[in-house]
Amino acid sequence: MKLLRKLPGYLNIWSVLSLIIVILILMPNLTILVNFFTQKAENWGHIQEFILPDLIKNTSLLIVFTGFLTVMIGTSLAWLVSAYDFPMKAFFKWALILPLAIPPYIAGYTYNGIMNYTGVIQTTLRNRWDVTVDQKYFDILTLPGAVFIFTIFLFPYVYTITRAFLSNQSASLVENARLLGRNPWEVFFKIVLPISRGAIVGGVSLVLLEVLNDYGVVQFFGVPTFSTAIFQTWFGMNDLNSAIKLSATLMFIVFSILILEKILRGRKKYSNTTAKARPLTPIRLQGIQAWVAFSYCLVIFLLGFMIPFVQLVDWMFLTFHKIASPEFKSLIWNSLLVSFVGAAMIVVFAVIIANFSRMHQSILSKSAARVTILGYSIPGAVIAVGISTVFIQIDNYLFSFYETIGMEPTLFLSTSLFMLISAYVIRFLAIGYNSIESGFDKIGNKYTEASRMLGMNLTKTFFKVDLRMIKGPLISGFILAFIEILKELPLTLILRPFNFDTLSTKAFQYAGDEQIHEASLASIIIVIICGIAIYIFHQVLEKEPK
Amino acid sequence: MFIQIKDLCFCYGNTKNNTIQNFNLEIEQGEIISILGESGSGKSTVLRLLCGLETPRQGSITINGEVMTDHRRFVLPEKRGIGMVFQDYALFPHMTVAENIQFGLKGYSRRAKKQRVQEVLELINMTSYAKRYPHELSGGQQQRIALARALAPKPSLLLLDEPFSNLDADLQIKIRSELKDIIKKTGITSIFVTHDREDSKAIADRIITMRDGAAYDWESICTIREEQQKRPDLELVDMK
Repeated sequence: MKLLRKLPGYLNIWSVLSLIIVILILMPNLTILVNFFTQKAENWGHIQEFILPDLIKNTSLLIVFTGFLTVMIGTSLAWLVSAYDFPMKAFFKWALILPLAIPPYIAGYTYNGIMNYTGVIQTTLRNRWDVTVDQKYFDILTLPGAVFIFTIFLFPYVYTITRAFLSNQSASLVENARLLGRNPWEVFFKIVLPISRGAIVGGVSLVLLEVLNDYGVVQFFGVPTFSTAIFQTWFGMNDLNSAIKLSATLMFIVFSILILEKILRGRKKYSNTTAKARPLTPIRLQGIQAWVAFSYCLVIFLLGFMIPFVQLVDWMFLTFHKIASPEFKSLIWNSLLVSFVGAAMIVVFAVIIANFSRMHQSILSKSAARVTILGYSIPGAVIAVGISTVFIQIDNYLFSFYETIGMEPTLFLSTSLFMLISAYVIRFLAIGYNSIESGFDKIGNKYTEASRMLGMNLTKTFFKVDLRMIKGPLISGFILAFIEILKELPLTLILRPFNFDTLSTKAFQYAGDEQIHEASLASIIIVIICGIAIYIFHQVLEKEPK
Repeated sequence: MFIQIKDLCFCYGNTKNNTIQNFNLEIEQGEIISILGESGSGKSTVLRLLCGLETPRQGSITINGEVMTDHRRFVLPEKRGIGMVFQDYALFPHMTVAENIQFGLKGYSRRAKKQRVQEVLELINMTSYAKRYPHELSGGQQQRIALARALAPKPSLLLLDEPFSNLDADLQIKIRSELKDIIKKTGITSIFVTHDREDSKAIADRIITMRDGAAYDWESICTIREEQQKRPDLELVDMK
């Protein structure tokens, strides 16, 4: 009875749209899980026996070492930058985020280009000092090499989240520990590490999800993982059902990581800023200490941004005349098109769900919010498998419809851009959602309530009040989603229509064809756009009153 | 009776105990009611139930003969024609004072809108502030604008949630009497919630004390006022 009476409050355009979006997101993922248990796959026995053990071994090694190293580097840098003053700290504070601007697959082939026989290091050694080196010390196309790339280019996830936590919330605890006579090392290990556990775990789980999502690095480095195996069984062996089974196995791994994160983080939320935040006052380092801190930051910055960036610029000048052509313009146009449309749809969907879950504190709205975030944890290759299965089924249903409207009865939807963009939306909805949800959190419900008391219904209130007030988060959500789509590789590779290339797929193809120099122009455009976006974000976040 | 609240029960989603337990109240047209209680006594929740921002578990609310909520009916907040002044005013920061006041004037012609804005600004003595933005006003001014915005659509009932809690002590006394004058001028039925006994005594015709989610005792302060005029030595009685 109560439910019936509440219906006019619940049954509105927002809840209906949210429900539709949630179903759309869930469908591909559920398809995978259902097919895992129902479909028979011809090669599955073979895969289980000969390939799966290797995949699990490689994936575990990548996860464990990358996880450990990103925590070490990310946390130590975060602490150094928040608690101490040393030369050029203000610069390093945001420059240490820049490695995120270089997608790992671009970094991977750039470093390989630097290190290999014809690369700048070996040619200099040979020509100038006549030194010939043993190739095995310079071969980075190995599992440790992949760990190096992931570590150096993904540690900023740990760094940014931990730094935000430390500089805003640790002040009183750290200062108390100092007053109680603890030396800096004791403060770090006894206070800083334990209290920032939540932030570190949050950051490192993002790193691990990125590692599991990666296709470019592991493919280029020849380290077989689930992503490469899914590609191979699907396109090499033409066995979609085995690809589905591999995807489901990978999904189980992802869910175990997410559950582990929940357990490790415990009840400590890292984003909880209820108490008045007082920034930590940094201590000025002197003499040798200052130089050690400076050098550490510098080395990481050089490795993570400057060296690959300079190398890419160098290659770009070598090949610019060859690459810059009308065809290349269409690459840029394609990239901008899918990124723009994808990001716009993400923002619209995110606003709808965020507004719904803010208006109704119910199980339905809470699970809608959960589902939205789900896509971000599921690797691109898995989403690709799920979504094309769904789209092919839809096309089959629509087969007769195509005939009646006089179209050539083909796989229409599953070969269109529409499929690719839907996949982007599912994968990156969380990014837009998080930004918009925190925007709604900040303004609270009072303006909406005030507007409703003045006679505006939910929808009018939304356009006249809510939307205007979350303009900032809306724009930042859009930009973040935009650069994620611009960088995206595995989804784009699998789901793009025939002959449709973007900057990222072209760069990856060139690199795969041993045309590393030719890949540089596309790469540098991606890096520069991402770099600018990161810089803007850092400036905005720093200025924003907490 | 203008407003009838019967056996109202309410609990927030995550709790077992009722925040509001069998709340009953009747109010006559034009009365100024004060709901007095400590924090957590459920007084603000009563306001939120009255204006439809929360849905009660049980009980009914009738305003001017029209059922707002009972076991099978629920009128959405925007359809109730109730004005509310929020604790922190909730003036839309992206609109000017005039735009804020206009916001609730649906179905008015352009000229009528302008005229009504002028009227309420005159009522609160702030005609020269129409073009300002909320952040360019002092706390007391913001509060008066919030009042004007709530009054502009001519609601049948005005609710005020802790209207003085964000003001300095000396400002509070001044605003208090202003507020009373404005409300009296419009003759609107009003309910305001406060934790401050002095506020209640200064403004209300009648004070309701709330404890543990129920109206504990209520008493007409008017009769006491009349007594007081005859016998200046009589103290106002403690309601608790």
